[in-house]
Amino acid sequence: MLIKVPSIVNLGLETIKVDIEINLANKGLPGFEIVGLAGKAVDESKERVRTAIQSSDVDFPAKKITVNMAPADVPKEGSMYDLPIALGILSSVLEFPIPQKSLFLGELSFDGSLRHTKGAFLMALFAKESGYTNLYVPKDSANEAAAIKGVKVFPVEDIGQLCRHFLGQEEIFPIIYKAVKDDKKSIVEFDMKEVLGQEQAKRAMEIAAAGGHNIIMIGSPGSGKTMLARALPGILPPLNDVESLEVTKIYSASGGIPPGGSLITNRQFRAPHHTASLAGLVGGGSKPQPGEISLAHRGVLFLDEFNEFPRTIMEALRQPLEDGYLTISRSRQRITYPADFMLVASANPCPCGYALHPKKSCNCSQNQIQKYQKRISGPILDRIDLHISVMPVDATEFEDNQKNSEFLEASDKIRKRVMQARQKQEARFATETICSNSQMKNSHIKKYCKLAKDVEAILRQASLKFNLSARSYMKMIKVARTIADLDGVDEIAVPHMAEALQYSPKNFETA
Amino acid sequence: MAEVVEVNSDKYPKVLKEALKKIGASLGPKKLYYKGNWSPDIFRNCLSVVGSRHLTYYGRKATEQLVTEVAAAGVTIVSGFMYGGDEAAHSAAVKCGGKTIAVMPCGIDLIHPASQKKLYEEILDTGGLIISEYEGKTQPQIFTYVQRDRIVAGLSKAVLVTEAALESGSLITASYATKFGKKIFALPGPITSEVSKGTIKLIKEGAYPVTEAKDILDFFKVLPGAQKTLIPAKSKVTANTGDNLEQKIIEQLKREPLKADEMARLFSVPVAKLGTSLSLMQLKGFINLDNGKYYLN
Repeated sequence: MLIKVPSIVNLGLETIKVDIEINLANKGLPGFEIVGLAGKAVDESKERVRTAIQSSDVDFPAKKITVNMAPADVPKEGSMYDLPIALGILSSVLEFPIPQKSLFLGELSFDGSLRHTKGAFLMALFAKESGYTNLYVPKDSANEAAAIKGVKVFPVEDIGQLCRHFLGQEEIFPIIYKAVKDDKKSIVEFDMKEVLGQEQAKRAMEIAAAGGHNIIMIGSPGSGKTMLARALPGILPPLNDVESLEVTKIYSASGGIPPGGSLITNRQFRAPHHTASLAGLVGGGSKPQPGEISLAHRGVLFLDEFNEFPRTIMEALRQPLEDGYLTISRSRQRITYPADFMLVASANPCPCGYALHPKKSCNCSQNQIQKYQKRISGPILDRIDLHISVMPVDATEFEDNQKNSEFLEASDKIRKRVMQARQKQEARFATETICSNSQMKNSHIKKYCKLAKDVEAILRQASLKFNLSARSYMKMIKVARTIADLDGVDEIAVPHMAEALQYSPKNFETA
Repeated sequence: MAEVVEVNSDKYPKVLKEALKKIGASLGPKKLYYKGNWSPDIFRNCLSVVGSRHLTYYGRKATEQLVTEVAAAGVTIVSGFMYGGDEAAHSAAVKCGGKTIAVMPCGIDLIHPASQKKLYEEILDTGGLIISEYEGKTQPQIFTYVQRDRIVAGLSKAVLVTEAALESGSLITASYATKFGKKIFALPGPITSEVSKGTIKLIKEGAYPVTEAKDILDFFKVLPGAQKTLIPAKSKVTANTGDNLEQKIIEQLKREPLKADEMARLFSVPVAKLGTSLSLMQLKGFINLDNGKYYLN
């Protein structure tokens, strides 16, 4: 008896339909075999399926069972095929038909219940595009799939329940999508209000958040670099609908959505340690997985102690920083993951860390300092729009907090300004493929950043005086554009450009 | 090519020979290798100027100011060619057309630090001297720096220490100078600065605190500008910008260098607005940024 159960396979973010064909033959020795380029986890599903069926008080058929996964030349990985395989066997034993226009996915537990499985969201997207109307997924994964409108998502608790549903003994109702409030507290560790002093650094953070600019902070240990970075998510605008979809896709593919989770609406903040591997950071592996840079898509990638990262990792960031995506090429397959993130880097000025410290003396030689600073390559620095030095603050200066209250703005207030600036950008780039000032290419700059004579004069003067490269020249225009947006103005004026110059690379050269 | 002067030669500087007698003549260099213009004139009036490798903006400015006047008056500036304080002294001397002697801690055919190749050539081009007691391409060692210091101190009539930490090569040079019985000048600096602690210690021990070039020139008994009039005319900041905030910034920076954050708090101005003014003032050349602090030019 031959049964077909449709499911999917995810290759990166691309989804392909997979037909699970199950044949129960009366001839031959009883056995259980899976063919069709099945990975280890798929092969092991035999034992899960067998035990789960027995736990559901159904006798496992003593027949020669062969499972084929078509197309047979696409590698299949993961535990999501437990449900379709088990369902195929059960439909033969209990004699119910597999419904039309349905897709199945889920990992089985030994007791027959279904566990949260990654990829449900991608399956729902695929179902909508390909005309499938019913999805049967584990209960914990149902909500994320239901975020896609137009498909019915049935939350299945255990395999027995699903059989009773198909036999007409018990009805499962499609789940109604419920947006789970992201626990924002868990991402935002600090409010900008808690960061004492550092006015200029905070302003730079605001500009970076408003225009999606990359930023690097140079400063002594304990000067507050990490705290500033950790406060950044609090001033970032939420994801818009399109962005939210993109980010949720990546997280669904990598299993990053928690049980019962929904669409991701907050910008993600990823802070990998400098011992992270190349594959872990940019993505890869023999079956290419998204790396930290893709998990930080539309969000923030915070690289603390930037010059401690191995050179290979830093250089690997160049392409995604420029293009906003990364293609992982393997002999078997080529997978492209989006990686349009905002890079926030922090570094010490010298090996001992105190070259910029007002009180402690630095005992590094000039050679050591140069070597240390050279660890961050020019091409990477060139792709960072905002450069700031962070000096340690004297805590005693801030005992009288009342006096300085006007300088201690809460994150929410800054966030409002950031959102207004983003709205201006969205309106500006409505007909373009980009969405923030930082993504502007030279053609966009020509089109959207017309400089008045006196503004251009200042920039020219500065590029001579501070030795700005051609790319830096363009970066200054982009930053000035964002500052003008924060100001709510359409024209870039002299003050905007002058402020932008504050964040040009010359400002932290120590030697 | 490098040439050599033996200790018994007439050309060997007397001032060095006599100085070294005080610690035992056998400790002096037997041979001096040199490149450049060896003339008795250049050794007549020498001032050693030494300072920290981590020279602050203040130290650099003060060195430029003092050395420019002293060197232009015909005093030869002797130093150790290290980056920081030494380099500031050499280049100030070269720029005003004065003579300068660089005593190397390495073999005569090496340039150390290599990054100062340009300065090395400038010293030779302006009739200065490069001296070393080591031949060929001897690598610098920790002890050669100290050995070098005794020549720096011995060649001159007085030593000016611009900035020095408590344990530093500049203080070693100063202690050689004391043993040789040379006059010691020290540049006073802020007591909070790590690299002023050494100079302040010297002042406490009797070094002459220098506040103007005249202090040094009086010692050399040559009048300012007597021999050369190459002192570049320094244009002072005309402290009138017509802008209220810029005016305030200039007034404040006259007293002490400040960070942008500090000024924003002091004037109660949003840092965005302050940044605008700072950039514009920087472009106009009124102020300068160094190590995160703004200075008046």
